[in-house]
Formats: sequence, structure tokens, C-alpha cells
Amino acid sequence: MTDPLLVTEAVTRRYGYRRVFADVTFSLRRGEVLALLGPNGAGKTTLLRVLAGLLRPSGGSVTRNGTVGLVAHNSMAYDALTARENLAFAAKLWGIVDPERVEELLDRLGLVRWQDQRVATFSRGMTQRLAIARALIHQPDILLLDEPFHSLDDPGVADVVRLLGELVSEGRGRGRGRAIVLVTHQLERLVQLATSVGYLVHGTLVGPEPMDDRSVETIAARYRGLLNRA
Amino acid sequence: MRDYLGVVWAIVVKDATVEWRTKTAFMSAVVFAILVLSILYFARDPTAVSSMDIAPGALWVTFTFAAMVGLNRAFLLERENQAIDGMLLTPVPRTAIFVGKMTGNLLFVGFVELISVPLFVLFYNVSLAGRLPQLLAVTAMATLAFVAVGTLLSAMAVRTRFAELMLPILLLPFLIPPVVGAVQLTSRILAARPASELMGWFKLLAAFDIVFCVLAILLYEATLDE
Repeated sequence: MTDPLLVTEAVTRRYGYRRVFADVTFSLRRGEVLALLGPNGAGKTTLLRVLAGLLRPSGGSVTRNGTVGLVAHNSMAYDALTARENLAFAAKLWGIVDPERVEELLDRLGLVRWQDQRVATFSRGMTQRLAIARALIHQPDILLLDEPFHSLDDPGVADVVRLLGELVSEGRGRGRGRAIVLVTHQLERLVQLATSVGYLVHGTLVGPEPMDDRSVETIAARYRGLLNRA
Repeated sequence: MRDYLGVVWAIVVKDATVEWRTKTAFMSAVVFAILVLSILYFARDPTAVSSMDIAPGALWVTFTFAAMVGLNRAFLLERENQAIDGMLLTPVPRTAIFVGKMTGNLLFVGFVELISVPLFVLFYNVSLAGRLPQLLAVTAMATLAFVAVGTLLSAMAVRTRFAELMLPILLLPFLIPPVVGAVQLTSRILAARPASELMGWFKLLAAFDIVFCVLAILLYEATLDE
């Protein structure tokens, strides 16, 4: 078994005196997809930012044994630049010299038709595709996805689900593949992709629990039960 | 080092492209510069105050406040869509991000100054013949000082709720020393004073450049912590 790509030990995050979550502990190996469920304001986005290294944990530790790609609520794109220019800029910062990489991602995310349009003219769904392309530009080992299906139309959702499936399994047998943390409220997508599920409720991470039963009803019932717990 | 400079250059090109396409900050700064130069010129009583008496002050008030428009915009651009996060996730040195933003600001302010100087010459009837190299040196040194500290404070102010109000409040106290030095030097150069009278002020400006640049680069990373 390969070493974990992402390890958290008793991670706590506070904003001032307000504790967002505490004692979050889990590890993630290549080929594993951890789905995070939690109500609005539970701290899922904050946890992803801590995992990405954009926020320091108030306590505990996060160990990343690989590069990180993040799809956040915001696209991280410059509205005045085109899709191609945004990706080329990101590639430059990551030290990627292969110009084919930008072409490949534009193609893979279905952005070729709009590659020379400014992002300011993009729909929310197209911007989301660009955000995903940007997160993948450096072929990260760890992929952190915050509502990646947000604003995508049905074909877009299907494309992204297929892409994520490929990313997880790519080179899995050769010790490659990726580890993914997926925040979503779309349980149908969650059961398609996740290998384990964690419930961030009342400031605590319950799980990760293995996805023995890939049924939406089972996950929904478990989630409701935890939410209603005193 | 080549990679470092490559990142700096990529940020400069990106900022310049965005500004070229939007022209928001540049147009605001240029219009502001024209307004200040003309208002100060027409506000004086020509029978009591010669244009040469107020010219150095007018020039540096114009440069300083026009630059602030650009400095404000520098990190607001990175906050739109949280683009700064995209940079912070990469392994590039934080100082390269700062130096890139600072270089972009220097270019921006340089262009605004380039457009303002002919207007200054026109309004205030100043002859730059034989004084241009010295004036260029003063402008470059003073601009470097206030752009260095301005870029740092812009990175700090952008995280506050009223970023565009906060920057002038934070920045103006730091601008007083280099701007006073620049005004003193400009008035002496325009009055064709001997070089010996200029050296002290030049040394002061050089000291501000070194201190502000070093401190700004060292402190930038602290502004990124949430």
C-alpha cells in the first residue's frame, strides 16, 4: 500500500474565539476520494483552504506529500484575460514549459471554442470549467474540490464526473493516480465518485466512513441522523 | 534566479495586459494628474506667486496622488475571483509575487509620470534643458520609495472592508519623507542650484529606497496570513 498523500492530525481552526472545527483527523492515499458533507457554515470551505495550505490550522498538523490543486468557490481567474491566457499564466507559475498542456486542458474541459474569449464574457458554468482546468494544469497529486458541479449544465456535470473518475484511476496500478477531497451536496455524484465519506457537523468530522453501500438513501439517512443529533 | 525573474516577468506582463484592456486605473490616474496640475496652476495669483515657486510641490502632489490610484488597483485585481489564491498555491517564492506586483506598479506610475511631465512643463513654463538627468534621477528614486511601501500597504489594505479608503490613510504618513526629499530636490534642480546642495537630499532618498524596499519585501509574506 502506498504512503498517504494527505494526512491531517487533530486539525483545528478558529476565527478569533469562534471554533470552526476541531480534531479533524484522516489520511488519503492515491486513488481515494473522500467526500465531505456538511450543512452551510459547517466549515467545509475553511477545511479545504487549510488542506490546501492557504490557511494555517489553529492546532494540529496537515502533511501534504504532493502538489495540490484547488477548485474553490471563486474561479481564481482574471476576468480581463482569455481562458487560454489564464491557463498559460498558471502554467508559467507552476514552471510548466510544455505548451501542449494548455491545449490539452482546453480540449478536455470543452473550452476550445471559447479559448480566446475574455473570462468576463463567460457564463458561470464556463468559468467553473476554467477553474477546474486551472486546478489541473500542474497535474496535482492532491485535488481539493469545493462544489465542482456548481453551475454546470447536465453535459458539463457528466464531463466533470468522467474527468474526475479518469483522474483518480489514471495510472493507479503504477502507483500514480490522485487523492481527491470532494465537497458536494449532490449525493448522486458523491456516490459515483467517493471511496469514503466524512460528515462535518457540529464542528467535528464524523468519519471518514467507507462507502460500503453506494446508495443515496443510505448516505442521506446517515447525514440526516447526524444533523439531528443533539 | 532565471525562474524567479521569469515569475516576476509573468506577473508584470499579466498586470500590464489586464490594465491595457481595462484602462480603468490608468485613465483615472491620468485624468486626476491633469486636473491637479491645472487646478493648482489656475488657483495661484500670478502677481503674487510665480509658477516656479509652486511647480515642485504641484508636480509631487500630482505624482503622489495619481500613483495612489494605481496602487489601490494593484491588489484589488488579485482579490477579484480570489486570483491571489491561485498564485499562493504555486511554489513560487512569495517575494517574487511582491517584486512582480511592485514592478508592475513602477511601470504604471512611470507611465503616468511620463504623461504628466509635458503637461507640467506646459502649465508651469519650466525649462528642463540640462536638468533632465537630475530630475529623472529624483523621480526614479522617489517613485521607487513610495511604490515599494505603497505596494506593501496595498496588499494589507485590500483585506480590509474599505480598502480604497484605507490605503491613503496608511500610506500618506510613509510618503512624507520621500516626497519632502523629492520636492526639495526638484526645487533646487529647477533653480539650477549647485550639485553640492543636492547631495544630502539624494543620499536621504537613496536611504529611503533601501529601507523601504528591503522592509517591504521582508514584510510582504506577513500580509498574506489570514
